Amino acid sequence: MRLLPAILCAAAGLTAQTAAQTPAPTLDRAESLWKQHRFEESKAVFEALIAAHPRNAQLRVRFGRLFLERFNAPEAAKLFNEALAIEPKQADALLGLAQVAADGFEAQAAHFAKQALKADPHMVAAQELLARLALEDNDPVKAAEEAHKALDMSANAVQAKAVLATIDWLNDKPASPWDPHDGAAYETAARIFVLNRRYEEGIQLFRKAIALQPGLWSAHSQLGVNLMRLGREEEARTELEMCFENHYRDAATVNTLRLMDSYKNFVTYKTDRTVLRLQKKEAELLHPYFEAEMLRALNAYDKKYGYHLDRPVQVEVYPDHEDFAVRTMGMPGLGALGVTFGYVVAMDSPSGRPPGTFHWASTMWHELSHVYVLNMTNFRVPRWFTEGLAVHEETAVSPEWGDRLDPHVIMALKDKKLLPVAELDRGFVRPTYPAQVVVSYFQAGRICDFINREWGWPKLLAMIHDFAGGASTPEVIEKEFGIKPEEFDKRFMTALNAETQKTVEGFDDWRKGLKKVAEEYKAQDYEDMIRDGSGIRDTYPDFVEAGNVYQFLADAYLAKGAKQAAIAVLERYAKAGGRSPDTLKQLATLLEEAGNREEAASVLDRLNYIQPIDEDLHRRLGDLWLSLGNTDGAIREYHAVLAKSPTDPAASHFSLAKAYRAANRPDDAKDELLLSLEAAPGFRPAQKMLLELSK
Amino acid sequence: MRIHVAHALLRAVSRLLSTLLFTAAALPATTYYLTVTGLGGEPDYEQHFAMWAKDIDKALKPTPDSKVETLVNATREQVRASLAAIGSQAKAQDAMVLMLIGHGSFDGYEYKINLPGPDLTASELATLLDRIPATRQLVVDMTSSSGGAIEFLRKPNRVVIAATKNGTEKNATIFARYWVEALNDPAADSDKNEVVSALEAFRFADKKTAAFYEQQNRLATEHAVLEDTGKGEGVRVPSPENGEGMLAAQFPLLRIGSAAAAAKDPAKIELLAKKDELEQQIDKLKYEKAAIPPDEYKKQLGALLLELARTQEEIDK
Repeated sequence: MRLLPAILCAAAGLTAQTAAQTPAPTLDRAESLWKQHRFEESKAVFEALIAAHPRNAQLRVRFGRLFLERFNAPEAAKLFNEALAIEPKQADALLGLAQVAADGFEAQAAHFAKQALKADPHMVAAQELLARLALEDNDPVKAAEEAHKALDMSANAVQAKAVLATIDWLNDKPASPWDPHDGAAYETAARIFVLNRRYEEGIQLFRKAIALQPGLWSAHSQLGVNLMRLGREEEARTELEMCFENHYRDAATVNTLRLMDSYKNFVTYKTDRTVLRLQKKEAELLHPYFEAEMLRALNAYDKKYGYHLDRPVQVEVYPDHEDFAVRTMGMPGLGALGVTFGYVVAMDSPSGRPPGTFHWASTMWHELSHVYVLNMTNFRVPRWFTEGLAVHEETAVSPEWGDRLDPHVIMALKDKKLLPVAELDRGFVRPTYPAQVVVSYFQAGRICDFINREWGWPKLLAMIHDFAGGASTPEVIEKEFGIKPEEFDKRFMTALNAETQKTVEGFDDWRKGLKKVAEEYKAQDYEDMIRDGSGIRDTYPDFVEAGNVYQFLADAYLAKGAKQAAIAVLERYAKAGGRSPDTLKQLATLLEEAGNREEAASVLDRLNYIQPIDEDLHRRLGDLWLSLGNTDGAIREYHAVLAKSPTDPAASHFSLAKAYRAANRPDDAKDELLLSLEAAPGFRPAQKMLLELSK
Repeated sequence: MRIHVAHALLRAVSRLLSTLLFTAAALPATTYYLTVTGLGGEPDYEQHFAMWAKDIDKALKPTPDSKVETLVNATREQVRASLAAIGSQAKAQDAMVLMLIGHGSFDGYEYKINLPGPDLTASELATLLDRIPATRQLVVDMTSSSGGAIEFLRKPNRVVIAATKNGTEKNATIFARYWVEALNDPAADSDKNEVVSALEAFRFADKKTAAFYEQQNRLATEHAVLEDTGKGEGVRVPSPENGEGMLAAQFPLLRIGSAAAAAKDPAKIELLAKKDELEQQIDKLKYEKAAIPPDEYKKQLGALLLELARTQEEIDK
């Protein structure tokens, strides 16, 4: 009891003393703490200042800058917007928004930078940003113009020099008069090289940046990320851990380190041409399918491209899409399903996507095409061309592969939103509407299809070599086709319109028709469904997503007992690229019931490229192939059943024993029988075969 | 190693109980099956619930020594009446299997299966089941929130299976679909003894349910559990370590062959004894697997399995 007043007195004294020692919250204090990397304390001072001066826009801008530096772009943007609400022409706030948008590859970046310049015509940083954005959009002429404007404003505009020097370096002119001799400027150049997929040169520039400015942690982080992209994991880890220890912990650094830690859960399989990294839990199942497909694609491309890769290609398969996303962090318009970094390909696993939404083999062939094109051109190839060629390759393997004409593309065609070929890269890097990346992939793919059809494959090969020589898209078009890019666009659009006209013009009616069919389905009006569904089916045959007309028609035919008609319509669905495992299995069942086991097996085999993590699929396909005498196929399928702890291990080992026996491999058959009987010693069919094999 | 010991123990007890079962099978025992579906709420659910119940009915009807009843969209009164009727017919040596399909709810205190009209609570269901003299009972509650029913339904000599691990897993369940599959797919009989036990059916349906969510790339919203000690919470993986699954392993849910017939033939008693001995040797060898060089293990296992196959061939003659 007596202690309490003493404690209170002591506490009061301490408070008075602390209050006397704590400096008043000022902007200088906040900035000083920020510089000392005492971010939390700086944040507290900013908060106190803003509470005391709620109408001070500059305070919010500086606070926003702190957030931007500390990897919190949404909070930074919020503060910049708040500043603009107070002062609509606050140039620093507009520049802040431009930088947030630029980091996210948003089309609004240039708009905000221009607004900032309008508010403050002497703002060099905004002018430099416009130059960088133009170069990121693969428009070096405009980039140079904007950079010179910045240098007119300030002869020391190092970021403008970086842009001009990068233009020279990208054009293989190493001795640029614009060499900025500045760490941050080299970092900008490095990032642009990475955007152009020239990772090795990007890495060299990050190293130069760090040599000049060892504490430039953003450059250390990007060096680590890009080293990892090229498979140099040891050095990558060193760089990233150094960042982490020095409190530079942006999403790319932390997530990449986390991903590297997770590699202990992966298994690596090697051949002389392939390195395949699979997650342990699905490695045994996927290995034979993925490795065989890699080798098939590499052999096909060797011949097609007339080029032999000088080292094995590494394919990493991620069941967790978030892990895969780490690999594409900081890349624009990329990363939907797969990504290529030189000789390293990262892609989603079929288990990481909802069934029927992902054709892994199509993605693999797409990415492996990049490996060839990037290496053949020494990474000097516009994005539209390498993507277009990769999309072309998907359907070149099989017309059922590749992406279909989707409603976004139809709307873009309808609204005439396709870009001229000379500007097509913009659609990948800085889309101006949400679906533009998808539309650009489609357009680029169809351009390559068009060239292949009209001029033949050698022309596409010639284009690869032209790009390797440093020619621009307009130069390549003129050289190879003898026409201006504008004329090329005209001819391409004429051909594309002829192909898609029926679907584009009939799209609205098709939509109404599909709605009507869905209502008839609910009402079980099968006659009307068949009439109306058949009427709209060919208007938009590529629509194979959920709620497609093929499934409606098949259900109607089956309800009427017309199995052959149901088979026919589901075969059209499969041919049109339909990928629903349930629907394809239904087709296989109908074919099997109709006595067409070969076709049933072929339909199920198609599912191996879509959703191979399916015990039932492998069992059924194994049984079919065994009955058709395809023992090698049956052995592969039964192995797949066993790869992921099957529901019925005894029966699964027995099936494999049967396949080995049919393949005249009695010893392997006996081994499998023992495994079957070990799980279920009383399993009669296995006992019977054991007796037969032991005679 | 500990697992091996545990499995060997389970098998030993299994064999002992198996012998008891054969003895019991000699008695005129009857298994009463009652399947109940509740309110679907939506046409899709109504249709699925009815279809699953129908499929269960179809799978069980040919089972000898059984009485199968299926109530689709049943009211509480109908369930009460059916259980009361079974109670008046069943004897101590009989078995009772109750399967519930539909939506359930749990308010933190009490579980209810949603039925047209008043719902039926787990505590009332327990009272109704307690009145049935059949000593061996199996309750398979496949509704949402069914885990909330375990504390009311558990009892010695009663196996309780729930589609959800507790009362808070409230989403509609898919477990029933695969329970039906277990009754129709020979793969459910994992030890190939031509009897699908409650434990085998549980494992089959649970595995298929998990695979369903994995394939759909969806977060699993149901985790089936089993309780057969009369005092546990229900476990995801019954094993000798947690003491669950012993009773379920010996609860024949469905006979799919003529296994029991051989046991009744006095001429084959000697062969059956030999078979039992060989099976014991195989179990012992499997228990010792880790300590034996692989080639030696394979050689010994092959010899025993071959001998077992020959003995079985003799039994089947």
